Amino acid sequence: MSVRTAVVLAAGEGTRLRPLTRNRPKPMLPAANRPILEHVCDALIDAGVDRLVFVVGYRRERVQEHFGPSYRGVPIEYVVQDKQLGSGHALLQAREAVSGPLLVVNGDRLIAAESVAAVRDAFAEDDARAALAVIERADASQYGAVRLRGRDIEEIVEKPDSDAFRLINAGIYAFDASVFEAIEATPREDGELALTDTIARLVDGERVRGVRTGGLWVDATYPWDLLEVASEVLARGRVSGPDRADGGLERAGSVQERADGVWVDPSARVAEAATLRSPVVVGPDCELAAGAVVGPDVALGRNVTVGANATVERAVLDADTRVGAGSTLLDAVTGQSVRLGAVTAIPGGPGDVRVGREVHEDQRLGAVLADRVRARGGVSFAPGTLVGPEATVGTGAHVDGTVPGGAEVVR
Amino acid sequence: MCGIIGCVGREDTLDTLVHGLSKLEYRGYDSAGVALSEAGDDGADGSDGSEGGLDVVKCAGKIDDLRAALEGRETSGPVGVGHTRWSTHGPPTDANAHPHVDCTGRVAVVHNGIIENYQALRDELSTAGHDFRSDTDTEVIPHLVEAGLHEGLDMEDAVRGAIARLEGSYAIAVVVAGEETVFAARNDSPLVLGVDDGATYLASDVPAFRDFTDRVVYLADGEFARLDDAGWTVTDVTGEVVDKDVETVDWDPEETGKSGYDHFMLKEIHEQPRALRQCLRGRVDELGGAIDIGDLGDLSPTGVQFVAAGTSYHAALYAARLFREAGVPAQAFLASEYATGVPPIGDALVVGVTQSGETADTLSAMREASRRGARTLAVTNTVGSTAAREADHTLYIRAGPEIGVAATKTFASQLAALNLLSLATAESGGRDVVAALRDLPGDVQTLLDDPRAEAVAAEFVDAGAYFFIGRGYHYPVALEGALKMKEITYKHAEGFAAGELKHGPLALVTEDTPVFAVVTGDDELATKTVGNVKEVEARDAPVVAVTDGQSDVERYADHVLELPETHRRAASVLANVQLQLVSYHVANELGRSIDKPRNLAKSVTVE
Repeated sequence: MSVRTAVVLAAGEGTRLRPLTRNRPKPMLPAANRPILEHVCDALIDAGVDRLVFVVGYRRERVQEHFGPSYRGVPIEYVVQDKQLGSGHALLQAREAVSGPLLVVNGDRLIAAESVAAVRDAFAEDDARAALAVIERADASQYGAVRLRGRDIEEIVEKPDSDAFRLINAGIYAFDASVFEAIEATPREDGELALTDTIARLVDGERVRGVRTGGLWVDATYPWDLLEVASEVLARGRVSGPDRADGGLERAGSVQERADGVWVDPSARVAEAATLRSPVVVGPDCELAAGAVVGPDVALGRNVTVGANATVERAVLDADTRVGAGSTLLDAVTGQSVRLGAVTAIPGGPGDVRVGREVHEDQRLGAVLADRVRARGGVSFAPGTLVGPEATVGTGAHVDGTVPGGAEVVR
Repeated sequence: MCGIIGCVGREDTLDTLVHGLSKLEYRGYDSAGVALSEAGDDGADGSDGSEGGLDVVKCAGKIDDLRAALEGRETSGPVGVGHTRWSTHGPPTDANAHPHVDCTGRVAVVHNGIIENYQALRDELSTAGHDFRSDTDTEVIPHLVEAGLHEGLDMEDAVRGAIARLEGSYAIAVVVAGEETVFAARNDSPLVLGVDDGATYLASDVPAFRDFTDRVVYLADGEFARLDDAGWTVTDVTGEVVDKDVETVDWDPEETGKSGYDHFMLKEIHEQPRALRQCLRGRVDELGGAIDIGDLGDLSPTGVQFVAAGTSYHAALYAARLFREAGVPAQAFLASEYATGVPPIGDALVVGVTQSGETADTLSAMREASRRGARTLAVTNTVGSTAAREADHTLYIRAGPEIGVAATKTFASQLAALNLLSLATAESGGRDVVAALRDLPGDVQTLLDDPRAEAVAAEFVDAGAYFFIGRGYHYPVALEGALKMKEITYKHAEGFAAGELKHGPLALVTEDTPVFAVVTGDDELATKTVGNVKEVEARDAPVVAVTDGQSDVERYADHVLELPETHRRAASVLANVQLQLVSYHVANELGRSIDKPRNLAKSVTVE
């Protein structure tokens, strides 16, 4: 019998995506114009899942408010992980909500419906204790690396020191209900229970199917990765969410394709003298003034304003962002309610980005501006700049490097 | 969003359906109905035999209205379906309420979703002589089934044939007179079966039947279900039986509609950004500095009288000030006082503010005004409500259904809608206000992301009383803050105009009575309110400043609840959100029945 219940792990913050995760968990960050988690649910539902259990925790209101009681007609039950003590601990919270076999996925990565279906089918056909999707990645040592023997998992190691691995755990699993006991029996590491530790124990002595998949698999590790994710989503045209579904209140963008690769929500106001360059998506309630040039590779979330003669290229501007007249934004990521005054300049990457003690060199990043950053006007941002939430930048200032949240930058 | 339900095998079919519908009210509640089918009698026992009947009862209004319509009627049968509706387009009328029936009245259908090709089907059926009675897309379905039955198909084949013709999203349940069977199908709309010994249920969501069974079967898109006295069968589009898991739900059914929140009130507080977006959608043009509320924009009242009750009255006080500032004489009246002592109206427009559109006091005040020849306007959340039907004009606030008895998101949406009304009919300019309104959803989200209100609430759970002060647009917010506190915590709370404090109420202020002061901007109003804050601080009362930090009120405050800087008209909406959160968390600490406070009802339909 095929598995139709999926548990979605959506409780973690995703700390490497700070400062964008100040007010929401990583699954709620935008993949172009819609949260990553919507794409995950689409893959599950397209693969035949008819019941969703969300494990929520960090800033869970954002998930609950967005999704409500159901998504695309599929009921959602919420269970809460109060403390984020690992993926195994997260899954354990869903124990009471699940009775039979189950699929488990991470809520923070884009996956393909085919991969979900492949794991489910392999689990159903084979007499295995569990099944999980594996994909090939050149940088396997950055992830949970996997070695196969025949069709089964031989070894699973988190971030191995060795470069010998080519396959990684794609984070799509099928289990029967006994997985909960297996998790409980797994010793905690530093107080945390990782699902992969449980799988590593299962591999010793039991069969765990490794299902090779080749479909879409996109993970945003750092904030600037959201630009790549957006390009991927735009290239595949996955911009249309479900229509209003929740008590007469709208939910996602019901964007319509105006021309090849140009999607605009019907409630957006685009001046006749504004230019949209494909691929581009414009969310609900947006306003684009005369002379604005938006695209290619731009996603505007809901209620974004682009002022007169502003240019926006390769950018993800999240909800309620205001771009003042005459601004130029290249390779830019903004959080929610970012207000940029007239003639803001983000000339674009490449630049070096500092995250803690690490330096990521030559990233194609103009700037990442977290939620509610204010730049008064005439502000310029050096390539690779990260600005924390609620920071304020005074008129005419030049910003470089990393600005902490709440800071005031003056000229 | 709508909700559907069906059941087979219970002796109290009608009660079961109505109970289930009441559990689905969170999906909407502006019209409701049921259809029950009774088996025919073939006369084998020597009697005359009969064809079997189909009883349909439906009406615009809440489930309680349906209960009233059912009162005294003999509606019975062993199988039935029901529906509760929330319309965003088109009025909820008795005719548009589900179930819908065919020409013969022998086929009844309930439906949640949208039939996209209904116009083509309707044209085809009309040409074939079918008679349509509603404006709904749903009504094509019973007629399609009827056509199939007429061709001699049995019920199952007729329903399958009808569903094969449909494009769009649907969860559908069908009953036919004389058949003790419910047929159901789904595509892109939720549908779940409830399984019990001797009885089977179907519904849009589990709470509808959770009081009867905890065993459920979730249907997938493209699947059909047949419920009859033998139990249930799920089949695919070709008629092949699908082997389905029966799952056990062991969670509390009340929780579902709350989608992870502890209370509807908290859910609705968090829905405010969404509700405001919906209210403002298509109506606000920031770059053009313009407001579009359709024909209402052509009204240019020379005076306005607002009538309202409760929270809506506070919105009315706020709105009256908007119009007065724009140079239009305007007053807010308590509807119950207005109705029994109508003031001179002159040429004034009389505006009734009522979330439900059914508030008896407000309706009565509007009727009195109407009788005196006044033009009336209803500002309401409920399409097709009595207020909307009776008034000359209607402005919808589009907040979506609100379940918590204490109004939260609808107050925010009322304030936003009333700003639109004032901007479109009485003000010139106002670009800064338009921009602030457009920022409002994001600004409210800022507050919802800030956890401080909960900490402040924890500090003052045991306070003897709570006072709220504000000036100008923040005076109605002070009143509303106090009302919310009273409603859900059952504690003493009062709101005052800040300047009025020293004229009496100051005598109540002690170290045991926290004072919540709403102060934004740094203009004369702010300076004066800060002066009032000093008065209470001098009496050792704990002060909670709700402020954007522009004035120096923080110097005299023990706690600060921050607001983003914005136009002072928008700041009132924001300040209110902070106060909602404080009241909610105090009530939660006290373990109150937050969604259904004692002695209170959501919409007060008696005078």
